[in-house]
Amino acid sequence: MKKIFYLVIGATLLSLASCNKIDNWDEPGSRLHGNVIDSYTGTNLVMDQNDWQIRIIDRTWEQKNKTVATYQSIPVQKDGVYNNSKLFSGTYDMIAYDGPFWPVDTIKGVVLGSETQQDFTVKPYLQVVDATATLGGTALAPTLTFTCNVKAPLITGLPNLYEVRPFLSLTTFCGNSNNINIGDYNTAQSSTSATASAKRSINRTWAAELTARGLPANSEKIPYTMGPLLVKPGYTYYVRVGANVNALSRRYNYSPIVKVVVP
Amino acid sequence: MKHKLILFIAILGCVISSCKDLQLDPKGILGEPELFGTAFGVKKYFTGIYFKLPIEDFIYYANGTGNPNNGYQPGNNNSWQAYKNSLDQMCGQTFGWNVAMGNGFGYWPYDNIRLVNVFINNFPAYKDKYDVATYNSLLGEARFLRAFFYEGMAKRYGGVPIVTEVQDPVNGDPAVLNVPRNTEYDTWKFIYADLKFAMDNMVATSESGRANKYVAAALMSRSMLYAGRSAKYTQYLGFSTEAAVQGGFAGMDPAKANEFFQYSYDAGKIVEQGPYSLYTKNYPDKATNFANLFLDKSSPETMFSKGYDGQTYGHCYDALMLPNPDFSSFVGTEAGPTLDIMQKFDFPALTDADGKPVRFTNRSDIKNAMEPRLKGTCYFDGDVVRGKTFSIQRGVYVKFTGPASDAKNGSNAAAVNATSNRILGNKGDKYQGVFVTGDHGFFSGRSAENNAMMGAYIRKYIDPALSAAQANVNKSSQSWVVFRLGEIYLNTAEAAYELGLRSEALDYIEKIRVRAGCLVTRPTLDQSVSSTYGYPIEKSLQFIRDERARELYVENQYWWDIRLWRIADQVLNLYYPHALTCYYVFDEGKYIYLDEINRDNRSISAQKRAAYEPIPQGEINKNKNLLPQNPLY
Repeated sequence: MKKIFYLVIGATLLSLASCNKIDNWDEPGSRLHGNVIDSYTGTNLVMDQNDWQIRIIDRTWEQKNKTVATYQSIPVQKDGVYNNSKLFSGTYDMIAYDGPFWPVDTIKGVVLGSETQQDFTVKPYLQVVDATATLGGTALAPTLTFTCNVKAPLITGLPNLYEVRPFLSLTTFCGNSNNINIGDYNTAQSSTSATASAKRSINRTWAAELTARGLPANSEKIPYTMGPLLVKPGYTYYVRVGANVNALSRRYNYSPIVKVVVP
Repeated sequence: MKHKLILFIAILGCVISSCKDLQLDPKGILGEPELFGTAFGVKKYFTGIYFKLPIEDFIYYANGTGNPNNGYQPGNNNSWQAYKNSLDQMCGQTFGWNVAMGNGFGYWPYDNIRLVNVFINNFPAYKDKYDVATYNSLLGEARFLRAFFYEGMAKRYGGVPIVTEVQDPVNGDPAVLNVPRNTEYDTWKFIYADLKFAMDNMVATSESGRANKYVAAALMSRSMLYAGRSAKYTQYLGFSTEAAVQGGFAGMDPAKANEFFQYSYDAGKIVEQGPYSLYTKNYPDKATNFANLFLDKSSPETMFSKGYDGQTYGHCYDALMLPNPDFSSFVGTEAGPTLDIMQKFDFPALTDADGKPVRFTNRSDIKNAMEPRLKGTCYFDGDVVRGKTFSIQRGVYVKFTGPASDAKNGSNAAAVNATSNRILGNKGDKYQGVFVTGDHGFFSGRSAENNAMMGAYIRKYIDPALSAAQANVNKSSQSWVVFRLGEIYLNTAEAAYELGLRSEALDYIEKIRVRAGCLVTRPTLDQSVSSTYGYPIEKSLQFIRDERARELYVENQYWWDIRLWRIADQVLNLYYPHALTCYYVFDEGKYIYLDEINRDNRSISAQKRAAYEPIPQGEINKNKNLLPQNPLY
């Protein structure tokens, strides 16, 4: 009986002794945030939620572990703000990578403490201005017609103008990452006229598009019209127009979101 | 006691004297001298390597994340799900199960390359056991095998480490073991050097399933064409700021393109010296002829094939490409051909001069104006196989008086498609005495599986000798044709055109089109430049590319073609596969065919980065000299 007792005590002590490892890592709590600023307007770049991400690479961890780190991504929100408050502290490289703007340099040696703000100033490839969405059609079969002007502030070395595309959404998020996927809207129309019945496919240089459209060679803006495209009566839509160039992942530059109430 | 002692000592003496040296070679194991010392041994050694060649065949999975069930599956005998996840499904050539566009699956065959390197490095020790010709041929065959593995990597990653020595993983120097990536140019040149040796030294004939010098030339023709395309067209991707491109690991100087096109062209000419010819046994029925080209194991057009016996190793093609229960005893169709590919062939007009749908008296009348090669590639309504007839119809229109555009590509929002006018249904449903659908589809209540959603079925590679009961899991035994003369003609045509030999290029296209039974066998040379894909391309070169899409449809070639032409992200930019849908117009008693966006409104998009696959992260973690990673990853 005594033996059993000592055996049980011994086993319990042993098992307790092996439970000494508590997770003693600190919870990651560094906050990294900032704005992506449009250098032409001085305000934040107009985006769609999570169209592209800021890449960060933890160099401290890399050095400590003598290995190669993969990047982490921080999504950029539709108002041009990014924010992540659950990162490990250390020294990071940051790249505003693969967005709708001319390439920017990597920012090295960003030290993450409790809170760090790092803004990026970028030059967008295109600007989509004067955008309108006009209701038409009949009460039972209403349609929307989209118009806009596309401007390119910097033309030298600009990759091919690729597409101009209308986006339709039922929520306040609207763009390439948040839209209603409708075949009619997304079937590419390539032509050399100003109007198209749906998404306009271009795939030419700025100068070639001006020539194809019969516009003067020093024009600042190129007008596009898309539609009429069917919408449903009684719905409230959020719409916008986007345009992109054939660079990396062809991210879009957008016009502001417009709310359309279909009676 | 004394007797026992003497007995004991005597026995001990015997035992000790019988202790022989046990360092004997086991007689049942084949070691290097047995395998490399005889031609039969070498064949045995090579068989295991052939088994693992990167051949995208019936059971190849398209995408994945390194899961062992993805990609090449040598010896996997239960891969029926591969037909749902096929390469052609992923890149929009066929429509059925939804296959997410993947990055690839981390193909990194250095273990197989090591097997070949062991041979190449150790075989010279056995040189005196062979005559010169046999010795050189076997070495050539090994280099062919090595080139095949490298081609599987180069077409995915661009530049990869070139390893020709047998490394010592235990005692080797880490600095030597961590091999860096070679440039893309050097990688393709390495493949060229191996294949050139193979072409110059291998024997001219071989048994079925084994390579010979013409097969090496075929691989040279295909791989050098890929290299030439990569050299010429990567510049248009807009990746010039990426580290991999600046280092030459992804992409090459466009001035090198013609070097590779020349290698491809020369290899194609060597193939033509071989005993191969286009398959014409079933002339004048060119449709049946084209279908039989893939089934006839004695076809003179097949240069190299991968065999299945339907018992130890079978595949499921017949079980999963035609509907259950009339034609298959398994799940039924997983894929159907898109209208987009059908209309690339000679195809009847679906609308007349006023834009109204053409009226057909019978559903199968649509085949009257179809190219024979299309009829040999796809099954349409009215075709007969396994004793049953295909019956395919989507629904009934009460009236259809306007142009085809009224139907808005099948949209439910179009007025003519209101439920009172367009009757859809399931098997057996009737509208005023008339069946709403065909026996095999298109059923409104079913998913894409076993439902004629595209309006037709795939015929290529279907074995009509099997009954429906026999069309079951792993019972198919058609060989997969890896290289055929038809492909070599297309390779040579493209390479010749890129080199400026335009008329000669069209000679090859003419041969293909005559065999196909096309109306116009030789297109007029059209050098006008279009820029559909953002780079200049002459119309006739685009025609050659389209001819490739027609001839090599569902042979797992299209994805590599659009990737290497660097247009995958544009061809698959919200690409909606369209279907050929047949309706009975009730008040007229006739049939019409419409062009509809697929019912599930599914689109396929490839990102620009799909031009290259990412170097597997697991490999980079082991060896950071594999950086830089490919563009956009």
